[in-house]
Amino acid sequence: MPLNAYLIVSALLFTIGATGVLVRRNPLVMFMSIELMLNAVNLSFMAFARELNSVDGWMFVFLVLTVAAAEVVVGLAIIVSIFRTRRTVNVDELNTLKG
Amino acid sequence: MSSTLLQQIAFYVLAAVAVASALGVVLFRNAVYCMLSLIVNLLSLALFFLTLNAIFVATIQVLIYAGAVMVLFLFVVTMLSPETGAPEEGRDRLRWQWAAGIGLGVILAGGLIIAFLSGAISSDAKAAGLDGLAQQASAHGNTEAFGLALFHGFAFPFEVTSVLLVIAVLGAVVLGRRMLGRE
Repeated sequence: MPLNAYLIVSALLFTIGATGVLVRRNPLVMFMSIELMLNAVNLSFMAFARELNSVDGWMFVFLVLTVAAAEVVVGLAIIVSIFRTRRTVNVDELNTLKG
Repeated sequence: MSSTLLQQIAFYVLAAVAVASALGVVLFRNAVYCMLSLIVNLLSLALFFLTLNAIFVATIQVLIYAGAVMVLFLFVVTMLSPETGAPEEGRDRLRWQWAAGIGLGVILAGGLIIAFLSGAISSDAKAAGLDGLAQQASAHGNTEAFGLALFHGFAFPFEVTSVLLVIAVLGAVVLGRRMLGRE
């Protein structure tokens, strides 16, 4: 398949993820949408890696995977911590930085 | 000839599954369904990586992303499920955000697709040359090429990655401890 086909799928996935962050009010689902965006970028990295016949794209996917894992760990810890103190996870109700 | 046809069919099926499951992540009301939809999406991306001849990356996508990270996610989603399982839309403060979000999303998708189809990006890609490691990948195999690239060209980013993971673990421990101390 040509490069453009992969890039268009990647663009669609990225857009769906970005829209999800904008419209959903549940921080867990917003996190999942961020994962969607990261994975869309991974897909375009892999498509470019094949197109350029280079493995550098694989390295970037590997690093993005690591960063995503670290981000999920810290983000979920923050969400659980917010839930324990405020008893809610609706981001519309979380309008202060104080606990 | 038939193998290219097979590849095309596989691509379109995978693309449909990926986009449908991504829409599921955004549209399902229940966070657990969103989660399962995201796992389908990650698995379809792993299959995309297989069609791009990246066997090792597809494997780590399944093991780490669809496996470890998503299990962690599912733990938290089910732990908070009394809150997140219920429909959240009843107490939306910004009613216009769905329209605004979808409008901005359509603009973003349109811009990206026009940028790709105008060919500016792919002609830039064509201009770059061959990489010696790619030949190694075909000669010795996928995983060996990955390891060679990781420990030769990308050794420093790889080490920085370990620091990042330590920071993430420490951050999670600190947040968890404060949480326990408060109860």
